[in-house]
Amino acid sequence: MTTPYLALGLAGPHLVELTGNRALLSRWDALPVAFTVLGIDRVDGSAPAAVTLTSSAVGATLAGSTKYGRFLITTTPQRDHPYNIARRVASLAHLSGGRSGVLIGVRDAYAPEGPKEAPAWGGAGLGGGAPLNAQTAYDAARAVRALEQSWPHDSIVGDRDTGILVQSNRIVHVDIDNSFSIAGPLNAPEPATGASVIAWYAATAADTPPVSGDDPIELVLGAAGSVPVVELGKEPPAGGIEGIVLRAGVEQSVADLLDTAERWLADGFAPIEPGGSLRAALNLSAPAPLPSPARAAFPAPKPHVSL
Amino acid sequence: MTNRRSGHVLLGINVLVLGYLPAAWKTPLLKKDSFVDPDYWSSLGKTAERGTLDALFLADGPLLGDPAYDANPIRLEPTVNWGQVAAATSRVGLVATASSTFNDPFELAERFLSWDHQTGGRAAWNVVTTRGVPAARNFGLPDIPFRDDRYERASEFVDVVRALWESAATSDDVHHHGEFFNVDGRLRVPPSKQGRPVIFQAGGSPQGRALAGRVAEGVFAAELTKNQAIEHYRLVKGFARDNGRSPDDIKILPGLLLSLGSTEEEARRRSDELHDAGPSSYSIGWLSQAIGYDASKLELDEPFPEDVLGPLKDPQSFLGSIGFRESIVAQIRKTNPTVREYLKQTRYTGSGHAGFVGTPEQLADHIEDWFHGGAIDGFNLQPDRLIDGLAVIVDELVPILRRRGLYRHEYETETLREHFRAASPTPPF
Repeated sequence: MTTPYLALGLAGPHLVELTGNRALLSRWDALPVAFTVLGIDRVDGSAPAAVTLTSSAVGATLAGSTKYGRFLITTTPQRDHPYNIARRVASLAHLSGGRSGVLIGVRDAYAPEGPKEAPAWGGAGLGGGAPLNAQTAYDAARAVRALEQSWPHDSIVGDRDTGILVQSNRIVHVDIDNSFSIAGPLNAPEPATGASVIAWYAATAADTPPVSGDDPIELVLGAAGSVPVVELGKEPPAGGIEGIVLRAGVEQSVADLLDTAERWLADGFAPIEPGGSLRAALNLSAPAPLPSPARAAFPAPKPHVSL
Repeated sequence: MTNRRSGHVLLGINVLVLGYLPAAWKTPLLKKDSFVDPDYWSSLGKTAERGTLDALFLADGPLLGDPAYDANPIRLEPTVNWGQVAAATSRVGLVATASSTFNDPFELAERFLSWDHQTGGRAAWNVVTTRGVPAARNFGLPDIPFRDDRYERASEFVDVVRALWESAATSDDVHHHGEFFNVDGRLRVPPSKQGRPVIFQAGGSPQGRALAGRVAEGVFAAELTKNQAIEHYRLVKGFARDNGRSPDDIKILPGLLLSLGSTEEEARRRSDELHDAGPSSYSIGWLSQAIGYDASKLELDEPFPEDVLGPLKDPQSFLGSIGFRESIVAQIRKTNPTVREYLKQTRYTGSGHAGFVGTPEQLADHIEDWFHGGAIDGFNLQPDRLIDGLAVIVDELVPILRRRGLYRHEYETETLREHFRAASPTPPF
């Protein structure tokens, strides 16, 4: 049996605390945990805390001010669209060297629901939207994955002789039509480290993701998943698990969480060397490429000839 | 006659990824994927701070243009991109463009205030309404809404966002029930060091200018001539005054495309080489989009026919920017060039935005002339290629402006709003 890894879960107030304190950031950056969930309380059914920050903004700070720590941003389609989510996910992966991934939730504890007829994304007032349920979140996850794969990284050739920067005929439309209708492609290439890891949160069996042929979910956190969440102050569950997320309550501090994490890492949890991509740290294989043939987004570029 | 103004100009850099010219990527100074390299982006931020520049701007839209020959259509998401740069810098302002058409105001308000908090109060939101069918199709719409609808939506969108930013300070719920949005709730994000992000507006249409007069603290303009710029400056400052605001509450920064060299000859050579290294079809494609007419159908060696320069037949469905089109038509009418001559001229005079090719000394003269002439509060400089062009601005232009008393020697303020407030007051108009 493999030794479980340790991951951390931060709630809203911890995001403010961690990013506002250089000493805490260095300590966090050096910790051999698998990853940290930025704002797990946004998606785990908690009541909203007094303060929070948008997870991608915290991820951007970590990408710029730390070198090794890996993280999952949290997001939901409640007030957001998969195209916009995919942009931030891909951008973070580029700028963090693949240290990032995304936890897609069903509901956002910090946001009001959209209109009754379309509480997910309907608040944008564009006439679209979907029910606020697991299927919508799952469809958002599928869209994020497809969009991140719509522009293969190795199409960036930078050939100075032909004048071709990108073999753009290899960029494809995603032509998604589920809870969302999205033509694509994404406006940034796939990260060099591959499409981002997509995680899900499931407290009970009822929360487990729907299943489809092109399942984008690679990691399920929570009691009904393979990586349970343990509240700080409680003991870790015994055996048979891939890892655990140690989650601080809003009344506990980041320093408290790091103290316990350091103790547990010295006492039985498998350290995961800081640095490198989240995908590599979790030993996850690269996701299957988009089904082909897909509709090319652009004609094959011709070598540029000067007039 | 020109009255000397006191105080200093504002200097921003419009970071068009690698530079505004398509061939910018070809330099050996860059890697083939520098446009997604965190070190490239943080070095731009650090270089800008070395010159105590006021702000870095990023354009944006939720769509991809063909990146075959050009890094310009490639877009990292601006709040994430500038969030990473913010961590490597401490004073330079960071302006992120975001669409009021393809976002939800609650999500955008929370994200921008969070990002502003993380930057220590250096963030701005540049409000755009977004043009183009490809963007619409990424959001399940067959086409973009008409211009009037986009601006009505933008106006309400901005009101909701501002009310939510206010709710972060007061902890009171917002209850907004309008034509486009219904929001009951509040933000739980801490106010930033400057309270809330600065608002920019970039469109040149009448609706865009009216929105700017009401809410914007910065305007990214597109005027080609000094007289046009003076007229626009007074118009927008006047709109602000009509809305009960001080003209000093809104700063006007036209874009200026740049190729700089230590002599005029060297600058022209740099510009020519960069142009010649890029695809020639670009200028024709650009002109077509900008004037709303397929320029490949025009005779290259004939002047522009009158029906191309006349009023737009259908402004509602025109996909280009009305402000850009007005500037271009005015410029063509002034000299009546052939199409080929115009396309060549725009190498030196800019395409939509004004252009400048010359030495840092000459650029300082130009900035000083427009500044004292009451045409600008500053410029949003758009280097041909940033990797070596930005350092010329920072290390050569800025010292000249400092010697002339037009720019600060050290940062004297911390937040972007403070940078703006510390700049020269509006001259009487």
